[in-house]
Amino acid sequence: MPSYELFLVLRQMSRPELVSALKRTAESILDKGGIIRRLQNLGSRALPYKISEQGLVHREGTYFAINFDAAPAKISDLKEEFGRDVDIIRRNVYKMEEPEKYECTLHEEMLPPAYRKDVQDMIEIAKRKQKPKYNYNSGLDYYPFQK
Amino acid sequence: MFKLTKVIAQNASALSGISKNARLLSTAAVRYSSSTATTNSPSANAIDSNPDEPIQISNPFEKERKVCILCKHNITPDYKNVKLLSQFQSPYTGRIYGRHITGLCKQKQEDVEKAIRRAQHCALMPTYHKDLEFLKDPKLFDPEKPIRPHKY
Repeated sequence: MPSYELFLVLRQMSRPELVSALKRTAESILDKGGIIRRLQNLGSRALPYKISEQGLVHREGTYFAINFDAAPAKISDLKEEFGRDVDIIRRNVYKMEEPEKYECTLHEEMLPPAYRKDVQDMIEIAKRKQKPKYNYNSGLDYYPFQK
Repeated sequence: MFKLTKVIAQNASALSGISKNARLLSTAAVRYSSSTATTNSPSANAIDSNPDEPIQISNPFEKERKVCILCKHNITPDYKNVKLLSQFQSPYTGRIYGRHITGLCKQKQEDVEKAIRRAQHCALMPTYHKDLEFLKDPKLFDPEKPIRPHKY
């Protein structure tokens, strides 16, 4: 099962209500055969912009991040279920991926254009696209093609 | 008449001197060529021992390899790290600065843009301005002095 991260923004609620909303979301993941690895509380604060959700305008929210493993086929069901929840303002599921190892390419990018790989490729493509041109110094005293 | 003969005599002596010099030079050249011929003979030890031979060194004019600031500190941008991401956002319009201003490599710039977009979607970051909390953060770059000229 791949790892996912669920980012939740819950509406401003009293503590017991908040607990029940969190329990509800967590149980829905467990019901779908998922495993919860970590639950982070990222605090509550004023939202950077007002959000209207379920017929209400929200200006404050509580942030949570839940790391879980679940079958990929169940993710759409989970999203649908969270979408119906009244207490959730924002729900985003992101796949957790290992960052790929790579070398910094800034040095190559800062070279003059003629030395850059992508520019050289572009020149190569442009050369390939050019049609063969008739040379006027080929000895014929007339133009051999239709004008 | 006497003067003329004197001048001729002087010239003759000078000419003879030149010819003598030329002879000397030619002998020296012969000697030099013979000596070079001996050194050119296949004996590697003789070349190695010669202190005047050129030494193989790396290019002294080669510039140091440039590395972008995120690669230097080995940071992978994460969408929850709002304090870092807001440094790549304009305080006036909330737009993400381009690569010609941030000075990041292609991959890191892409990662930063993706993370900022995610953070904005998760209501972690504002979209039309920079978070007031981070307005006085230290600047990583100067948007007035881009490292490359603008595309347009």
